[in-house]
Amino acid sequence: MRIEERRYTKADHFRPTGYILKSLQTTFKGAIRATKHRPCTILYPWERLLYPDNYRGRPGIVLERCIGCARCAKECPNKCIEMVDFQDAEKGKVKRPQVNLGRCMMCGNCAEACPTNAMIVTPEYELSSYSRAGLIFDPVRLQHPYKPGYEVNYKFALLSEIAAGGEVKTYAKNDPNVHDTIVLDGSKCISCSRCAKTCPANAIEMADTGEVNPKTKKPIKHPKFDNAKCVVCEQCVEVCPKSCLSVKEVL
Amino acid sequence: MSNLYIELTNFTEWLLGLVAALLDWTKLGFLSDFGEWLQTAPVVDFVSTLLVAVIFLITAMMFGLCFIWQERKFLGRFMDRRGTQVGFLGFFQNFADGIKVILKEHIVPKDSDHRLFEMAIFAYLASTFMLFGCIPFSDNFYVIDVDLAVLLGVAIFAFGPFSILIGGWSSNNKFTLIGGMRAAAQLIALEIPLLLCIVSVVVITGDLSFVGIVTWQEENIWLIVPLCIGALTFFIAAVGESERIPFDLPEAEAELVEGWATEYGDVRWGLQMASDYFRAYILCGLFTMLFLGGWAGPEFIWAEAWYLTKVFIVFFFFIWVRAATVRIRTDQILKLGWRRLLPMAVINLLIAVALKVTGVF
Repeated sequence: MRIEERRYTKADHFRPTGYILKSLQTTFKGAIRATKHRPCTILYPWERLLYPDNYRGRPGIVLERCIGCARCAKECPNKCIEMVDFQDAEKGKVKRPQVNLGRCMMCGNCAEACPTNAMIVTPEYELSSYSRAGLIFDPVRLQHPYKPGYEVNYKFALLSEIAAGGEVKTYAKNDPNVHDTIVLDGSKCISCSRCAKTCPANAIEMADTGEVNPKTKKPIKHPKFDNAKCVVCEQCVEVCPKSCLSVKEVL
Repeated sequence: MSNLYIELTNFTEWLLGLVAALLDWTKLGFLSDFGEWLQTAPVVDFVSTLLVAVIFLITAMMFGLCFIWQERKFLGRFMDRRGTQVGFLGFFQNFADGIKVILKEHIVPKDSDHRLFEMAIFAYLASTFMLFGCIPFSDNFYVIDVDLAVLLGVAIFAFGPFSILIGGWSSNNKFTLIGGMRAAAQLIALEIPLLLCIVSVVVITGDLSFVGIVTWQEENIWLIVPLCIGALTFFIAAVGESERIPFDLPEAEAELVEGWATEYGDVRWGLQMASDYFRAYILCGLFTMLFLGGWAGPEFIWAEAWYLTKVFIVFFFFIWVRAATVRIRTDQILKLGWRRLLPMAVINLLIAVALKVTGVF
């Protein structure tokens, strides 16, 4: 509809068309349409809207794919995801996300951040419960059968390429060639190998640097990062006792 | 005498005869005398009139309530939604609302003028219910058919602003006071064009009773054709008189909480709200009888059905205007009343006089 700026003048007293007749016509058309077809409201408990598969309802999880990287918990704007202990049949005691749906705003950022697409968005939206505890979905309850379209994918372009003015490529989510990298400050490293133990994707390997510790006469090992496996969960950065790891963003 | 009267008089005679026989059976002297007194003509007349009035009041109130249902459903369609859904097609919404307001507590504001506060709402409701008696459904179904029925109806109608003003003032609340003032100003501004339109109808038909006016239209022509300007003026003034959007200044929900009825609670408020619709029903009935030929129509359905059909169609236009327009300011409403509707009504009156003088009718 065209919206035009109008000014009320004295002549408008004698011109009822714009004020009354036009609005009468508009409403009458609307009434005829609503009577002939149907009103735009739906009778909710009996009628439902059909949602597409990529409708962002409550988050769900496919436990077989989850690696426990906690990127969803970091990304969540409402801090409703918490990593809880979970007894996996194969992997033993692991951390898996638990979602408090009382706080969730269904933004789907967790599924967007998930490197393995284990976190998905589901079309479920009827989540009312009689208690707050009933809104807290533990990993088992959070599971949802997977259908194509439930995962959230996106494409992005690099700022540096745009700034350079040349050809701008679009990259898919989790492209191993362009994602952020972990950088080691070798002078601080004490070779404790905690990062390698923490890494959920097994992307860190303690490799010999060729040097030998002068006191203990043992070879010094520094972490080596496998960029193809790394999911940039930053757990190694957090766990490092000497703060010698940092994230280098791709720009 | 209408058929209704005759039948109900027979029924009353039978009923009172039964009561008198029962009293006579007791063999007590004073009760037998009382039974004989019951069968005298004045008592029978009184009881039958009461019965007619009650039947008529209930019928008219039911159709007034149907107006609320009609407004809910039609306004819903105008706004691209479904309207009320309570019960079958939303028919039970009124009953639910009624039960709700009946169960509420009656609260009188501490600093209000208690007597006037209690009186004003009943004066308003009484004038509304009295108006029901003035509006006939057909020449067979009415309460009174006096020679000056139009004048009587208009006089009772003019009692409304008075009670509104008293109710607004006695509540001791700024919102109710402003609402009452606005109601009085608006109703007086729009009453004069309304009356002039009625006068033009009376000039042409030469009759002041509704039955006479409708009979004239049945024999000649529906007055909306020669007096189209008057019909338009009457319609606009009627929307204003029933305090409906776009002229719902006395009850401006956005500015004054609930207008002059802010302090009223419980069933008084419910009846006040319903009486807005009753008044709209009465004005639609007036419009039907003055301009649309009342119950005149082909005789394959009852005259009452014709009358009600026309009334509901007129009210559809009320709803349409409500859906299409927004509330206007006080000064605009007064300007419209005095500077637009009044000249239109006078022109219409001149047309009516010219038609009468030149001998067209």
